[in-house]
Amino acid sequence: MKRSRIVFLAIVGVAIVIVGVALALRATNREQPLVVTPKGPIQVRILTALPVEPWVRAAAEQFNQEGHKLEGEEIQVEIIAMDGLTALGKYDRNEFGALDADADIENLTSEQQQALARFPTAWIPDSRYLPELANAAYKERLGRDVYLTDGEYRAKPVALSLSSWGIYQSRADVLDQTFGDVSWQTVHDAATAKGGWPELGGQESWGFFKLVVPDPRKNVGGLTAMISAAGEYYDRPSISTEDVTDPEFQAWLEETLSATTDLSGASAYTAEDFALFGYSQGDGGLLLESDLLNNMQGILNRWGEPLSIRYPTYVTWFDFPFTIWIGPETSALEKNAALEFERYLLSPDVQRAALKYGLRPVNDEVTVTDAEDSPFVQWQDQGVAIVVPRTSAMRSPDRDVLQTLLRWFELNVAQ
Amino acid sequence: MSKQQSGNGTPLVRILAIIVAVLVVGCFICSTGVFVINLLLDNAPTESEPERISDPKSATLILAYSPEKADLITDLTERFNDTRQRTPDGERMQVQLVEMTPDRMVEAALDAEPDFQALSPDASLWLDQLDLRWADLHRADAGDIAPRRIADTVRYAVSPVVIAAWPEVAEELGWGSQPVGWSELQQRAAGDSDFRWSHASTSYASGMLATLAEFYAGAGKTRGLTEEDVLAQSTLDYVQKIESTVSFYGENEAVAMERMRQEGRDFLDALIVQEALVVQHNRNSKDPLVAIYPREGALWEDHPLALLDDPAITDNQRRTFRAFGEFLRTPEQQQRILDQGFRPADLAIPIDQADSPISLQNGVDPREPQTTLQTPGPGVIQVVQNAWLYTKRPSNIFLVVDTSGSMEGEKLENVRLALSNFVDQIRGARDRVGMVEFAGSVYNIEPLALVDDLQRQRLEQEINLLEAHGDTALLDAIHAAYVRLQREADPERINAIVVLTDGLENASNTSMNQLLAEIRRGNAGDAPVIIFAIGYGDDADFATLNAIAEVSGGQARKGSIETINELYRLLSQYF
Repeated sequence: MKRSRIVFLAIVGVAIVIVGVALALRATNREQPLVVTPKGPIQVRILTALPVEPWVRAAAEQFNQEGHKLEGEEIQVEIIAMDGLTALGKYDRNEFGALDADADIENLTSEQQQALARFPTAWIPDSRYLPELANAAYKERLGRDVYLTDGEYRAKPVALSLSSWGIYQSRADVLDQTFGDVSWQTVHDAATAKGGWPELGGQESWGFFKLVVPDPRKNVGGLTAMISAAGEYYDRPSISTEDVTDPEFQAWLEETLSATTDLSGASAYTAEDFALFGYSQGDGGLLLESDLLNNMQGILNRWGEPLSIRYPTYVTWFDFPFTIWIGPETSALEKNAALEFERYLLSPDVQRAALKYGLRPVNDEVTVTDAEDSPFVQWQDQGVAIVVPRTSAMRSPDRDVLQTLLRWFELNVAQ
Repeated sequence: MSKQQSGNGTPLVRILAIIVAVLVVGCFICSTGVFVINLLLDNAPTESEPERISDPKSATLILAYSPEKADLITDLTERFNDTRQRTPDGERMQVQLVEMTPDRMVEAALDAEPDFQALSPDASLWLDQLDLRWADLHRADAGDIAPRRIADTVRYAVSPVVIAAWPEVAEELGWGSQPVGWSELQQRAAGDSDFRWSHASTSYASGMLATLAEFYAGAGKTRGLTEEDVLAQSTLDYVQKIESTVSFYGENEAVAMERMRQEGRDFLDALIVQEALVVQHNRNSKDPLVAIYPREGALWEDHPLALLDDPAITDNQRRTFRAFGEFLRTPEQQQRILDQGFRPADLAIPIDQADSPISLQNGVDPREPQTTLQTPGPGVIQVVQNAWLYTKRPSNIFLVVDTSGSMEGEKLENVRLALSNFVDQIRGARDRVGMVEFAGSVYNIEPLALVDDLQRQRLEQEINLLEAHGDTALLDAIHAAYVRLQREADPERINAIVVLTDGLENASNTSMNQLLAEIRRGNAGDAPVIIFAIGYGDDADFATLNAIAEVSGGQARKGSIETINELYRLLSQYF
């Protein structure tokens, strides 16, 4: 063989070997990077219900600035604002990408790993029954709970609020004169007054009585409003599917909700609507106390009159439980970092800061009057109660009751 | 000696040279091979790898906004971009704007890969429409928690929808002495053929409210409007009667308001707009308007800023959305929003102070509206939108198209597309459309006919057959269309000509003076013809077009190859 041929074959041979090695390395890289990614901060992603989101976000910013560490790594908390129902829907549809029960956690594909990078470490929903409902959905799918009810990682409330009536003072005065008080029955009677406000003793320009309740398809507060109405209708704190399917109750509730001005369910931020659009959109409504307190001053500024705050016979409490996902989608380090932030939220200073947002602290060391600018003190004359008796609390409904009410609402009210 | 040394060293040198050559050539082949293979592998979509967005680190947020707040949102966006904020990984946060009607935003956001990540329509009712249709598309049953297309919403400015009228018109309606509302406006419009009023189409919140008020009145209700109420024949008859009094439907309320400013009382007696536009008008005009807050109830344009729930949106784009929302809510920008006549979302900013533009001096009242018309659920809203197409004032429209030689190529190609889209936009099968094609003379006239499937096909064929040749007999072509519309003498319909030309008139028998005189004479009758003229390209005789449009009460617009499609789409909203 001529030397030139040998040289040519050698070149081709070397080229083939190098290309082969490069391809092999490339294939290997997909599973095991040659360069180890440097460890960054521990990322904690928290789905947070809208009523506590401003407080939790402010706390997270402070927490991040303070540079809290776990096992030598810095913790970074990211807040994702999401209504509890929307989050529950995403868990139901597995939009966050929880792994199947038989998934091999050690051998995830790069796509699975990438999807899990955004998986929420914890959830602060509006009420504890939401993680219970998520648990039920996942138990069916995975055969196990994804949120614990006991132990270190169990759901723990971080703040409290409750549903309460907020009514423009001028309208509340008329309702008091006509009906003696404000209740669901009062609201029903006002809603069904054919002559509107003039018939009730109010001004002609006020038009019809207008009720504000959150859209139950987008806001937990809307569902709890309907449950609270049912509690008062039946005069008991526990409601069953039979109760909410009773045609007489449904007719009564439909008449009551017919006074809702915006059935299009424009926003989950109903208290903000109440403040922005004033009495033009709602004379009064059953909303979260913290939302009402947050908007009291703004309402006074914009519309020139304050709200009168009243509490329904059967109150619904929102306890905003800090709920840590216990599945393999998040690491032990991330779970423990979430726990660190939970402890931070429960610390006296941060609990005191919650007062500014109209939230009631859960830490016994802090009371609602503990801050100078506490809205609970500021608006006491408008009916805000420092202590609300908890004997008449509505019990959490089960999933069937919620689904029945939602279905009924969609088919009969929100058309 | 040197030769000998050279000869002695030859094998070693040659071997070294060969080795070097092998390495160099080998490296070249390898690197080229690896590059090509990598390129192929990187570009080849695989089943396990979903398509990725072009730049996973992008912090540029594309925001679709509705045109009634173009000035405000453009100003605020420029200011935000000027802050040159960066994401934690160093990407520049930027907001890019794209103008769109609210109903088109809904359609576009239903797409799996919309061209924008955020939207700011004129009212939240469009977001509800979007969520409803998204849930339908993803088969959510009643009772299930439906998937939503909207992930996050921020409010930065609101403004109630009012009846804007000249003071003497408002007083005639009873304003100042008694509460005035939709029913007074509707009665006046139905009883006085000289009364000229307008509202936008139901593609906008203000048009939707005006139409809703008609449906409520037609159903004899003030709340609880149902689909059955909307579709009852008596309701449809009532709405049709009221809609027959509408002068025209504008492309949006800001454009109509601008004409109100320019043309004064000759243009309209009353117009349905958001309060902010009345404030802006009164601050810039010596002839102020008053805002009537309808006693039956107003509706709010709440201009939500919403982020889509879309996995393709990058973390940085979400950061930009959040930063932009926070920027809009800063006291400085909120004050700026108030200065432009909108009510700021920040309730700490008073709107009833002496220096506030929301004042009686500007024809508006910060303590109004007292009550709101009930907005039905998105299902009923959809039915109202569809029913409106069958009750709105029908039109006779002649499309007059220049096919002179200068239109050849891309120019005519784009006009074909634009005309075709225009015909597509005419829905409801109650409008009549015809076409006049001209070059050196009027060489083809497609008579007016109801735009049913057959006429649609016929027009499509005509549009596809358009060919460029000859001179420009513009005046003859407009005259031909005008004469035909006058012959129809149809006062129940909006009669209009949409004429396009790219050059100078050079072949008509009709003179400019003759044409203008004929339009003046004809339009004094019961069935005036409005002419919308498009000067296509830089060579169009815009002065001539403007004079013709003006005398008819219409408008002249400039168009280009790039904008012609959008221009025809905008003009279709007048009918």
